[in-house]
Amino acid sequence: MFNWLFRQNTAINAVVNRFISQPFPAATTLVEHSPFLVLDLELTGLNPRKDHIVSIGWVPIHQQEIVLAQARHYLINSPVSVGQSAIYHGLHDRELKSAHDIADILTELLNQYAGYVFVAHHSKMDEQFLRFACQRCFGKAPRFKFIDTMQIEWQRLLRQGKVVKHDALKLPSCLQRHGLPPMANHHALEDAYSCALLLLSQLKLGGNAMTLGDLYLLSR
Amino acid sequence: MEVADVIHFLAQTTPFNQLSEANLGQFSSHINVVYCKARDKVQVNSDRLLIVRTGIFALYSDQQKLLTKLQAGDFYGYQQLLTRLTDNDTLRCEEDGLVYWLDAEAFHQCRYQYKNVDIFFQRLFSRRLHQYREQQQGSRFTLKISDVVQQRKVAIRPEQSVQDAAKLMSDHRVSSLLVEEQDKLVGIITDRDLRNRVLALGLPASTQVNHVMTRQPHSIDFHAYLYEAVQQMSQHNVHHLPVMAQGICCGMLSATDIIRSQQDHPVYLIGEIHRQPDVDGLERCSQQIATLAITLNKQQVPAHEAGHIITTITDALTQRLIYLAQQKLGEAPCIFSWLAFGSQARMDQSLNADQDNALLLEKEPTGAVAEYFSELAEFVCKGLAQCGVTLCPGNIMATNPELRLSLKGWSGRFARWIATPTPEALLKASIFFDLRVIDGSKGLFNALQQDILQRTAKAPLFLYHLAQAALQRTAPLGFFKNFILEADGKHKKGLDLKKRGISLLTDLVRVYALSAGITEVNTRRRLQQLAEKGVIDSKDSLNINDAFDLLAQLRWEKHQHDLQQGHDVTNLLDPMDVSGLARHQLKDSFAVINDAQSSLKHRFCRDM
Repeated sequence: MFNWLFRQNTAINAVVNRFISQPFPAATTLVEHSPFLVLDLELTGLNPRKDHIVSIGWVPIHQQEIVLAQARHYLINSPVSVGQSAIYHGLHDRELKSAHDIADILTELLNQYAGYVFVAHHSKMDEQFLRFACQRCFGKAPRFKFIDTMQIEWQRLLRQGKVVKHDALKLPSCLQRHGLPPMANHHALEDAYSCALLLLSQLKLGGNAMTLGDLYLLSR
Repeated sequence: MEVADVIHFLAQTTPFNQLSEANLGQFSSHINVVYCKARDKVQVNSDRLLIVRTGIFALYSDQQKLLTKLQAGDFYGYQQLLTRLTDNDTLRCEEDGLVYWLDAEAFHQCRYQYKNVDIFFQRLFSRRLHQYREQQQGSRFTLKISDVVQQRKVAIRPEQSVQDAAKLMSDHRVSSLLVEEQDKLVGIITDRDLRNRVLALGLPASTQVNHVMTRQPHSIDFHAYLYEAVQQMSQHNVHHLPVMAQGICCGMLSATDIIRSQQDHPVYLIGEIHRQPDVDGLERCSQQIATLAITLNKQQVPAHEAGHIITTITDALTQRLIYLAQQKLGEAPCIFSWLAFGSQARMDQSLNADQDNALLLEKEPTGAVAEYFSELAEFVCKGLAQCGVTLCPGNIMATNPELRLSLKGWSGRFARWIATPTPEALLKASIFFDLRVIDGSKGLFNALQQDILQRTAKAPLFLYHLAQAALQRTAPLGFFKNFILEADGKHKKGLDLKKRGISLLTDLVRVYALSAGITEVNTRRRLQQLAEKGVIDSKDSLNINDAFDLLAQLRWEKHQHDLQQGHDVTNLLDPMDVSGLARHQLKDSFAVINDAQSSLKHRFCRDM
């Protein structure tokens, strides 16, 4: 279970190094041509120093198409008990027995999706947890490019001159506002898929000429 | 990996509800999901099956004709997957939505594995062919509320005053308001309510809207058909229906909206023409004729009916111009009839017809009378030209003083043609023997027509020469039943459908009609009466009728084609441009003309 503790060596660093060596698309790239990976993490808590990733779900977007063939969902071995957080994500310790090693999953993620722009709803949290996990596994964390659909939504609503209540930015409210199918229960892949739909809708609203650079600005 | 929303949707969608749960998961991993915004064009020529998840998509043929609308659970692309033939259809998103693209491999695998899925798509394919035909028959009946209603909501709160309501109505130029309380529809109020329930009862302007509004009004669904709305309106005797989409009110449909949607109907154009105060207004109206013609074609109106409609519009333009001329010049000094010759008289005008008209006067045209009608003719003919009915190159127009005659003058002229016919004179004069009154006195016209017919029926020499003139040109069919093409200077080679087809038949039928004293001038009606009177064999009559219809249809379609391509409208058809079947029919029609011409020769040119 604690294998990852002993695997911190330069060979493993290669995973991170390879990810870093792959450049991100230029800021002038049109969003419709940019590859995205939309992901969602379920966590034991909110503190990246203390808490852990319980499950991860992702789905890539190529040429504005969500590719379900490459959708993934993994349960992650946690070094600590899931405890109280099971109330939210519905994952209990016994189910996590058949789970994967975080290092294996991070290796798959970094190997396959180098050069992808990552997307999440309230991405700050996901980004921090991913970086901490990489640091622990590989002794080194790469710099990710993250797009935050929540931030985009906030800016969009502000520009329309609307008063934005906190609840209005939660994923289910956003889906409803965009006329997208409602979410199934809390589940990393479901959330990632819904977030991907939201992103597609937001990209369409941005128009044909929108570049990645524009998107980074919106997502700040 | 399965996404619950995708699986859930597929499990509810025929025919994929046949799939086992395990296969469904496998199946869903062959799907790409795309989000479309309204007005997006969806790329359809990929080797994949499109499944609509949400939203509305309109499918257009390559002629931009609406074929069908796709909604959640509908498919597109199975045609191509089944037959490997590509369509030139376009799919346009009308309401934001999600589509799934299923790759070909999974589609075929699924058909192979589940017989019912295969049968489903095969049937869907054959039904679509059927759908194409059905759609063509009556787009008028398939209009939906969503095609017509403006998504513009003008609403008022129930506690506001009727004065506010009246102000809101005049600000937005509407005749009715939705009454809404917290985004929920509670009633409607119309201008009629303001009159009947407020003013007539002497209620003050501060009366609250909820005292006089109609509570729980009848409403109609956004996706309902227009005829359903018409039905509801007449059933409940109301003129306004709130339009509901998913329980939320999104606008108001008024009787006026429905009428406006039917405006491409010729009746409305004619009504419009009779309301125009000046020639410029008429010119604007006449610009709609081209769009009307395209609509008529889309609705598969047969050529002879379309010709009738176009003629009716020219008639209306003429009548209105005569009215306007009289407004300007004052009452006519005597009774007159405005006559039309040629195609306008026969009611088979085409889009490139020119003017052939004249005046028949009660009095001899001298002095003030002559001056008045000269000005009237000038006004009307110029006006018609401005409306796109080109001036007659042969000067057969009322502006020509030789064609403004009294009954006696006309009668004398016809008598001369009939008594001493020379072939050349008749070739030009044959057009005068198809005549119809457009405006003015019918009695005056009838007197002239009876006079002519009495003379022609008893004039074998005249009929001989008329028949000779009709036989001068032959159908463009060679000895080996090959087409003889001709060139007309500007255009490439082709068959002149008018000169070497339709005209031959009208000329030929005219000879029979004049010999039998038939008052009808329309070629089809002449044929009908000739067969009824036993002048010609009813089988021959039907054959000629069919040939005439076919040629007229081909010419009509040619004109439509020219119009859509933005070319000048011409009668020259390249036989390679039409289908093999049409080519065969064309040859048959020319053969009918040849036969009919030889029996005409036999009948009228034998004894001489």
